[in-house]
Amino acid sequence: MMNTRTRKSLTAAAVASALVLPLAACASGDSGGSRRPENEIHVMVYGDATNKVEQQMVDTFNKTSDVKVVLDTIPGADYQQKLQTIIDTNAAPDVFFNWGGGSIEPFVDADLLLPLDDFIAEDPQLKDAFLPAVFNSAVIDGTSYGIPMRGTQPVMLFHNKQVLADAGIEAPETWDELLAAVETLKAQGVTPIALGGADQWPTLMWYQYAFDRVAGPELFEKALAGDTDVWDSAESHEALDKLSELIDAGAFGTNFDSVKFTDGGSPALLRTGKAAFELMGSWNYSTHYDVDPAWTDANLGYTAFPAIDGGKGDAANITGNTNNFYSVLAKTRYPDAVRDFLKLMYSDEFVEAQLAIGNLPTTTNTEQFLDQAASPEYAAFQFDLVKNAPHFQMSWDQAFPPAAGTPLKIAVQQFFSGQIDADGFIAAMKSLPASR
Amino acid sequence: MTTRAPQGRTRPGAADLQVGRPGVVWALPAALFFGLFALLPMVLVLVLSFTQWSGLGSPELVGTENWSRLLDDPVMLKSIGLSLVLTALGVVTQTPVAMLLGVWAAGHQWNRAVLSAIFFVPLLLSAAAVSVLWRAVLDPNFGVPAQMEWLFGDGNLFGNQSTAIAVLVFVSLWQFTPLHALIYQGAAKAVPPMLYEAAEIDGAGRVRSFFAITLPQLRNTMITSVILMVVGGLTTFDTVLILTNGGPGTDTTITAFYMYQKAFRGFDFGLASAIAVVLVVAATAISLVMVRLSGYDKMRSELEGV
Repeated sequence: MMNTRTRKSLTAAAVASALVLPLAACASGDSGGSRRPENEIHVMVYGDATNKVEQQMVDTFNKTSDVKVVLDTIPGADYQQKLQTIIDTNAAPDVFFNWGGGSIEPFVDADLLLPLDDFIAEDPQLKDAFLPAVFNSAVIDGTSYGIPMRGTQPVMLFHNKQVLADAGIEAPETWDELLAAVETLKAQGVTPIALGGADQWPTLMWYQYAFDRVAGPELFEKALAGDTDVWDSAESHEALDKLSELIDAGAFGTNFDSVKFTDGGSPALLRTGKAAFELMGSWNYSTHYDVDPAWTDANLGYTAFPAIDGGKGDAANITGNTNNFYSVLAKTRYPDAVRDFLKLMYSDEFVEAQLAIGNLPTTTNTEQFLDQAASPEYAAFQFDLVKNAPHFQMSWDQAFPPAAGTPLKIAVQQFFSGQIDADGFIAAMKSLPASR
Repeated sequence: MTTRAPQGRTRPGAADLQVGRPGVVWALPAALFFGLFALLPMVLVLVLSFTQWSGLGSPELVGTENWSRLLDDPVMLKSIGLSLVLTALGVVTQTPVAMLLGVWAAGHQWNRAVLSAIFFVPLLLSAAAVSVLWRAVLDPNFGVPAQMEWLFGDGNLFGNQSTAIAVLVFVSLWQFTPLHALIYQGAAKAVPPMLYEAAEIDGAGRVRSFFAITLPQLRNTMITSVILMVVGGLTTFDTVLILTNGGPGTDTTITAFYMYQKAFRGFDFGLASAIAVVLVVAATAISLVMVRLSGYDKMRSELEGV
């Protein structure tokens, strides 16, 4: 028989090792809708500064409706986990925030979501009032599952105007101009491009653009649909060659894997003039503005991603977060009230409220209100970018289902830092968990 | 096994009851708590490891598929190696520092008390806060490495496996040494002064006293401390999550972090449960082996004959 001390150390070992175990207790409940709250619609959103607009929409809706909307905000970092845990239980919300694409695909496969086609038939504006490139990223197998409900966040090439002026160069419009700029900047002792490689997703942005410019959107769409052989195509190899060319030229310096965007590291490189460019989502503007408004107004430049000569993709294509979406649970008790609530997402009040806090909505009527934006010039540039884009590629990690996210980003990081070569990257892409 | 009073050198049976030794009821709260929050979840996890479950719908039995996937998974094998390396480095670096610090702090001089209090500050900080702090300090462009290029080169500490591991070991050393020093301090204070007095009379110096008296007296303490380090090392998670995120690539993806990735980023709870089972079994086995090898289970007193 073991004595007390031994048992204690065993207990300690077991308890420590079992920290993650309580998740097992969260088994899914039955999915009957009968016990859902009466005269209430629960709307679950990602908790952050935009919640005040969401609350305003809820208040507007509740003024005239008998069925009341209740807004449940979930602290950001835990959002996807919380959603995954409760969506198949009686505690599931009626309407929830998501990123479209791969973030809702598992729910569609599990028949949890309400196809919005009937809503759209009753009110065609629920589709026509939104920019198609954005609306389409919540269309799965031809069926609509989401209504855009925040701002769009295209990825752009930002630069420090002062650094470019000192080096005597212009913001590049082609890949070759970018390579030339890299050489000039290196000679000046400046890191040409800031990259928060430790976060991994900023690195992914380079792949999204390189592949779209070289191969067009079709390659990734095929890969997502399960045709993994496209990763081994000539175009795929060429896109990776382009990236290698840039990396080998020293465009990103040598220590980008130790730098993060999220802790302010890479933005500081750009702002202090230690780096000249950074490829980043449109939120980068407010990231800089919050720290140094005067610098941002005077020195933060932005352009579309350079064109690649001979590439198949349209140089007007963009990538990034198309928007966030509201999706509806199939078992909601009040579908008509939900439909009426969703109509608010293209109202003038919604557009003005979003613009006022710096978000750029993706409704067709947004254009009339652009002069009310926090920074009208920047908002107009972005809106044109999105409106004129033949294709808006959703970020790869969001287009794939969650299971593919980590292996994708690991391969992205390893190829950039030279741990794997093009063949290694292609093999990793081919072995990603399939979309279906 | 929780119901019987410890035997050993105490007299058995009736005599114990007469002096009111704890009975079954005394163990009940702890047993219930342990059963409900440790044993039951562990059983559930074992069951889950034979299923496929994304958190949606009901878990689907898939037999041993998760287990065969794990066996073929190069990242899993690598993660076990990394866990062992990190744990071993943790023990090797923390033990000597903690022991010397603990023994030194056991002295009765007032300045030692003040300094010990300062040394123990890292213990009061959460691992998450410590990790965020060190991440900022080690930023390659704006942190310490930018000022000390002769030592850190381009400062790409998180971009190479060896330096990323070194950072993890260093941060653990910085954070957990105080805890172990505290344990050693308590034990060193309990060493009877007469042993040192006798040694002094015999002409032993400080160094000799340390090796001949202090070290042997700290034997059981060392085992306790090392078991804590090993279990803590195998289940390290927060420092990896915040400092390296398992990277570069998968170069610091230790088993506990890999389990988190599979469960809460990939929503593959079946595979993650299989990893959890491996961790529980490994940590338990290692603790058991250490206890057996060290003779700790015999509970031999270090004060016999004093």
